[in-house]
Amino acid sequence: MTTTQKNVLEVRDIQTFIGQFHILDGVSVDVPDGSITVLLGRNGAGKTTTLKSILGLTPPRAGAVIFKGKEIQGQPAYRTAAKGIGYVPEHRAIFRDLSVEENLRIAERKAGDLARREEFIFGLFPDLKRLIKLPGGNLSGGQQQMLAVARALVPDNELLLIDEPSEGLAPVVIEQMMEAIRRLSEHTTVLLVEQNFIMASRLADRYTIIETGQSVKSGMMADLVDDEATIQRYLGAA
Amino acid sequence: MASIWKNNRAVLIVAALAVVLFGGMIQSMEPKVWVSVMLSGLTLASLYFLVASGLSLIFGLMDVLNFAHGVLFVLGAYVGLATYMNPRLLLNTLPIFFVLIAAVMMAQHVGRAFWPRISGKRNQRLATIGLLLAAALLMILALRGFPIRALNAFNLTAVGGAVTTANAQEPLAMMFRRLLLLALAGVPIGILLSPTDRQDEVPLRPLWQTALITGGAALLGVVLLLVRDSGETWMLALSPDIRFLLALIMGTIAGALGGVAIETALIRPFYGNSVTQLVLTLGLSIAGIDLIEAMFGEEANPPMPPPTLFGENCRSDSLINWFSENCQSIDVLGRAFPTYRIFIIVVGVLVFVAVGLMLRRTRLGMIIRAGVQDSEMVQALGINVRRIFTLVFALGSGLAAMGGVIAAPYLGVFPGMGAIYQLQAFIAVVIGGMGSFIGAAVGTIILGMARAFGDHFVAAGISLPFLDTIIKGSPAIARASTVLIMALVLLIKPSGIFGKKE
Repeated sequence: MTTTQKNVLEVRDIQTFIGQFHILDGVSVDVPDGSITVLLGRNGAGKTTTLKSILGLTPPRAGAVIFKGKEIQGQPAYRTAAKGIGYVPEHRAIFRDLSVEENLRIAERKAGDLARREEFIFGLFPDLKRLIKLPGGNLSGGQQQMLAVARALVPDNELLLIDEPSEGLAPVVIEQMMEAIRRLSEHTTVLLVEQNFIMASRLADRYTIIETGQSVKSGMMADLVDDEATIQRYLGAA
Repeated sequence: MASIWKNNRAVLIVAALAVVLFGGMIQSMEPKVWVSVMLSGLTLASLYFLVASGLSLIFGLMDVLNFAHGVLFVLGAYVGLATYMNPRLLLNTLPIFFVLIAAVMMAQHVGRAFWPRISGKRNQRLATIGLLLAAALLMILALRGFPIRALNAFNLTAVGGAVTTANAQEPLAMMFRRLLLLALAGVPIGILLSPTDRQDEVPLRPLWQTALITGGAALLGVVLLLVRDSGETWMLALSPDIRFLLALIMGTIAGALGGVAIETALIRPFYGNSVTQLVLTLGLSIAGIDLIEAMFGEEANPPMPPPTLFGENCRSDSLINWFSENCQSIDVLGRAFPTYRIFIIVVGVLVFVAVGLMLRRTRLGMIIRAGVQDSEMVQALGINVRRIFTLVFALGSGLAAMGGVIAAPYLGVFPGMGAIYQLQAFIAVVIGGMGSFIGAAVGTIILGMARAFGDHFVAAGISLPFLDTIIKGSPAIARASTVLIMALVLLIKPSGIFGKKE
């Protein structure tokens, strides 16, 4: 790549095993500062595991994860996260018994994080303000997804890992979510996993395609949209 | 409201039936009878709860079924007893623990440097075996011939007793030799227990902090030994109320430290492998009681005399009068009820409220509640969940040990005292819903009531409404009632009353 932008995250040829299963067999991803990068690929290709390996939830056995110029692989997830990586997992992982407010407050790393970000967060997701006292478990799927993203915005994160934000959501809510991600990406870098190619192509600047545990192709999203052959080959009918 | 009804229909119907049945039964009893039976039930419930709350929190947060929880109850009772009545035992043994723990903590830093130099699985295994042997050998050398029996033999509250203190205690020079050997024994143990670079390990403290803590602990141990004679006289001269408070504090701390030791040494290396953890705690529940027997003797101690606050041989008319009279029993609708049992109930309620507030109102409580649902996500938010695990283990263990201390004047102190309480606590947690704090409270109240009313009906018989004959049960029924209730609850709601459906 010829860009002069600095990469906030570089994943170098990581190998990850879950139990006996060799899930990632050489994944490399560059995430330039300020970009939205999307991981594409079929179900089970290893996109979610890539995110978890970056964070250290499924630590890679080999390879390197470089965040802001420093290798962070092999460290426990809580330390990786505290360096400034926010995680919005698949299926949202909202704390069901905690109120919406507590779900946000638990993400604070310094006292007052939430107060500082409140305006921005409720600007993105006005619904949450109304629901603030409700238990997370009472929220609809779309509201839970908003809460999961909002939770990652509470502390000062320089990188957000967002896994399938459109999964199971109604089209109207997907539009809202896309708009929110676009707006928050003005402040943070985003690494996205997204099955919905239309959403991915409208949001992302860059892409990396993962196929059976290997990163096979990366580039600018604008180029991929016109590359019918690649789309057909790796992503099936788009 | 409607959704609560829909989700818990079966439970609510059965609860209503139980209330009607219960009402029917106590209908035929005089109020003074059922109120005092109920207070007895609450006394039991309170003790069950102190054990069950920790079990439930530990299971909810870390999926660990801690079968060794009853051991901590017994440990608390014995440490409490020693603090209350036989301080010379504490003053002579505490330095041993202080020095050993200090040496282990210090040696963990040595282990950090040691393990990376041992390459290859075979060499690591050899090193492990060698260190284990060295530790065992040094421990035997250090503790051989320690006069534990003589230190244990005491007469109630008198200095010395069966064996006079001067004869029971070893000379200082001998004790210091033991401490030196113990410090050496701590080195291989610390190296064995040192955190490696394994994933999500709790990191070691900086060296200077460890040095400060361990130096302080070792110094405290030495000072305790130097002042052991005057210390014993001083402690026994304190008022029994103060000594009882000290006993509560010491017992609780001992339990919490015991919990930390169990968590670090046995549980932490095996997270994600719950069968191994279960077998280990099960084994510890047996070995732990043996250790307690070895340390404190096998024979049963009579119930510890309650502090003077509940000790005057009289009966107070009301709670207000009790405050000035400190009678050992109080008049409840014309029947005498021991005031110490009221104290047990009050402690249970206070612990329930305090832990409940901690869970609802503090950041730590918020993290615990979140961790019960999804500890991986808590980790992903940048929170060191393993540290919270250790903390909760310490908290739960401390509560169980506190239960042991307050049970000592009620039950007596003997090595087997924990078994039945642990079993009842397990059943209460299952009834209430694993991992639910409120569930543990409700479960223990149900069990306490069932036991108290069961015992009462066995003794007095039961007359059901619309029936003339009095039905008498066998004692076995009262004991079986617990299991019957559990079976009933599990049939209706397999996850327990407050359990979450998975």
